[in-house]
Amino acid sequence: MGVAFVAHCLLNQNSKVRDGAHCAGVYSPIVDVLRAKGWRIEQMPCPELAFAGLNRFWAVREQYDTAAFRRHCRRLAVAVAGAIAARAERGEEVVLVGVEGSPSMGVTITSSDPDRGGRPSWPEGTPEHTGGEGIFVEELHAELDRRGITFRVAGETHALAAHDEDDQRARLESVLEGGDE
Amino acid sequence: MSDERSYRVALVADRYVNPAPGGLDGLAVLTAANWGVMQLPDDAYPGEVARLLLAEIAEQVEEFSRHGYAFVLVGERAGLDQALALVGVAVPPRIEPASADELGEFLAGQPVPPAVDAATSARE
Repeated sequence: MGVAFVAHCLLNQNSKVRDGAHCAGVYSPIVDVLRAKGWRIEQMPCPELAFAGLNRFWAVREQYDTAAFRRHCRRLAVAVAGAIAARAERGEEVVLVGVEGSPSMGVTITSSDPDRGGRPSWPEGTPEHTGGEGIFVEELHAELDRRGITFRVAGETHALAAHDEDDQRARLESVLEGGDE
Repeated sequence: MSDERSYRVALVADRYVNPAPGGLDGLAVLTAANWGVMQLPDDAYPGEVARLLLAEIAEQVEEFSRHGYAFVLVGERAGLDQALALVGVAVPPRIEPASADELGEFLAGQPVPPAVDAATSARE
């Protein structure tokens, strides 16, 4: 057992980009697994909310990969890493639960389209998904590496075409039990 | 595509998110009542860690407030008042619930957030 640092929106879907909230407030499937396994829950800030606001557009990694957003994410990463360090110093295990497909919170899958920009227009579906971390997770990863803190990752998968709640639960349980996603 | 958000956000002390055995599970009540949660830092964190986290929370509260989302405070957290004051946001209605029923009634008694009316008008 340990501490799961979860993406902000997993406890507060109000922070999602418009048309992105899957439920009213708390996304309980993730909470239920963490509770059942006896893990503490710690909520991370939403990197996009305070920076781009509630009326932000859906975006890919390249659109957020600016010097200003990186600085914002590094500031958040220092705050979150301080909390993670306090847990790690007590010998507690740490898991990051991100949001797969997110340009900022993806842990193994983010979104990418180097050509996206200008007048908003995008096709249905999710062709932009690609392996990798979102920008905030990348900055947090770097900050935790700098502090010598190890962690495992898991992701909420609603944004993926292949999303399956049972599969998502099984993967999270596996990570909590010490496996890699 | 539908958006299921409630436009209602509760600032919640850590002990209601991670309750001790026998403690009140605020997260369960808030989930059932369709409120989003912004978790306040654990009291055990060093002061500087908590201060940084509270500053980020306050900045997000400011953005929600600008858009007419509703807020309540469940429990308390030292430093929250100052963090909210720095972004010009008042401390929201607060409760220190003794039971799930008390928290549920408090949430049910909150006014409809202005953001709900704005979203309804936009859809019409």
